Amino acid sequence: MKLEIKNASYSYRNGRPLYEDVSFSVESGEMISILGPNGAGKTTLLRAAMGLLKWTKGESFLDGEPIADMSPSKLWSKIAYVPQSIGKGGSYTVLQSVLLGLTNQIGLFSVPKEKDILFAEETLGKLNILHLRDRKCNEISGGELQMVMIARSLVSRAGIMILDEPESNLDFKNQMIVLDTLTRLCNDGIGILFNTHYPEHALRRSSKSILIDNGSVLFGPTPSIITEKNIESAFGVKAYIGQFETDQNMIANVIPVGLAEKADKEEKADSEDEDVLATLSIICRKFSESGRINALLHEYNDILFGRMGMPHRKRDLYLISINLDGNRERIRMLEHQLSMIPDVSCKITYAKEDVL
Amino acid sequence: MTKTESAAQKTAYSLLLAVLPVFAVLFSLCIGRYVVSVSDVFRCLVSRFNEGIEVNRMSYITIWNVRLPRIILAFLAGSALSCAGLLFQSLFRNPLATPDTLGVAGGSSFGAVLSILLGLSMIPMQLLSFGAGCLAVAMTILAAKGKDQSMNTIVLSGIIMGSLFSALVSLVKFTADQEQQLPSITYWLMGSLQSATYSSLVIGLIPILVSTIILILLRWRLNLLLLSEDESCSSGVNMPRLRMIAILCATMLTASSISMCGQVGWVGLIVPHMCRLLFGNDHRKLLPACISFGGAFLIIVDTLARSITASEIPISILTAIIGAPFFLFLIRKKGGWSL
Repeated sequence: MKLEIKNASYSYRNGRPLYEDVSFSVESGEMISILGPNGAGKTTLLRAAMGLLKWTKGESFLDGEPIADMSPSKLWSKIAYVPQSIGKGGSYTVLQSVLLGLTNQIGLFSVPKEKDILFAEETLGKLNILHLRDRKCNEISGGELQMVMIARSLVSRAGIMILDEPESNLDFKNQMIVLDTLTRLCNDGIGILFNTHYPEHALRRSSKSILIDNGSVLFGPTPSIITEKNIESAFGVKAYIGQFETDQNMIANVIPVGLAEKADKEEKADSEDEDVLATLSIICRKFSESGRINALLHEYNDILFGRMGMPHRKRDLYLISINLDGNRERIRMLEHQLSMIPDVSCKITYAKEDVL
Repeated sequence: MTKTESAAQKTAYSLLLAVLPVFAVLFSLCIGRYVVSVSDVFRCLVSRFNEGIEVNRMSYITIWNVRLPRIILAFLAGSALSCAGLLFQSLFRNPLATPDTLGVAGGSSFGAVLSILLGLSMIPMQLLSFGAGCLAVAMTILAAKGKDQSMNTIVLSGIIMGSLFSALVSLVKFTADQEQQLPSITYWLMGSLQSATYSSLVIGLIPILVSTIILILLRWRLNLLLLSEDESCSSGVNMPRLRMIAILCATMLTASSISMCGQVGWVGLIVPHMCRLLFGNDHRKLLPACISFGGAFLIIVDTLARSITASEIPISILTAIIGAPFFLFLIRKKGGWSL
């Protein structure tokens, strides 16, 4: 399934344009984050993308069909929307609230049957919140409510899930639970589009990102969108993107250091273009994922000049070691895409500069 | 384990809903200026279909011609007003919404009062009252129709129409003849079930029955009304249409009950609240509960209204006296205003 926005523009009612010529797409199995400062129109972008607001120009297409021409019941059987969850859900019980996500699938005069209830319970179980089944939505925590909202959109069996700031207002643990859940769903083949205030979440979780920068909407692979330069331009904040090393992985991190000064805006020499030599080691904790890794490596054949793959059957592991010679941005892109695959640890070692 | 528990709860729920109105009806058939014993009540009821049973002529007339139509009216009006109140509360996600929110009561009252002024008989009065109530709501919706058709705009224009029609009611009162028309207008406005006859019941029954059936069929979808705008529209259901159907049904329910028995306050506020407190917010349970509780409640209150004192107390006075403290108790216990 593919939701595609082609050359769309959106203007406020008073005619002031919010953004022009927006193009992006979400496909099954992709996780795409939308970033932008407060008031940049992140929520508006989501709402317009799924037809809750009308584009001033251009259109959204779902599998090639303009969504403006689709009936609501057809559209919403394919797209699920999870709005910001504060104060949502009413005083229904969790089970009732999740069952409401099934309304589109049951007849006009019908009520949820035994099999629908079982399916809702199964979904709650999948998200580890079955114990909340009979609690009231207005009496559970924010993190739990967010999971309930995700469960409700899951039971609609939609292929694309659109979430508005799913991890806002949550503590560390609940952010992790929500993001891990989204990553899992994405790996199950659901296309996910979500708004976030955290550049790190985009860097760590999504293959592609959208950045709203003063009315222009940038879309591309995350490492090429979430850059120090773009963050400074969009948010007016000077930030460094670094990597934090854990025992398993290199984790991307964004550290804001201060407000950007006007004079700072001159172009910095781009160090991303130079060629470097590097080795990349990968530990894949599920042998079954090795096919996916090999397919990905194949795309980077031009910078790959030596590789060794070794299954470790006793532990169901797959270890790969790769030598790379190519431009630094492409190497970073490869690393980023690898780190999107769950159960994969990967790290790069760069050669010292005088080696070249 | 939870399955069997909920099965037992389900049986208890159905039983309660079925038994409550039956007891209310029996109570009401027995009690009054002229007390009839339970066994006599049964004999009278059966004797209509079985000529062989000897009954007291007086009891027979009291039960069949006076009390029964009145009880049916009380049940219809009580359940109609409760369902309408339930719907409006869900529609506006506001616990203070009553059947009157969109100006139905104002319109229906004006229709009825105008009929009294024109000296119309019962049936035309009932029709005019019903029509005026529907007209008031139609005007409310038309007035709210614009660029930004939010529920708040509809509520505001409902308040405007409500006060417009109450001004018109005052105008009619002002022009009415003070000797005869004014007292009967005032008395009608306070609500009474005294005028119940089988023919007037039939006319009121049709819109009530139609709307109730529609609502019961839509019982699951009505749950979407309580969700926020964003949540409900992404359910794939055509929400503007569902809301219109709900408004239409609630209007027909309210207008036809007011056209039969005048303005009976409080029922539409208290009964839905009581049911929400007992059964949660699921309309699958709430609708039958409101029908049963609302009907039973009004039967009992009406029985008290006609039996407590020598002359009949207008029913609205009694519902307010019972309702206000009960309502206070509810909010204090629940401790909040959210739905």
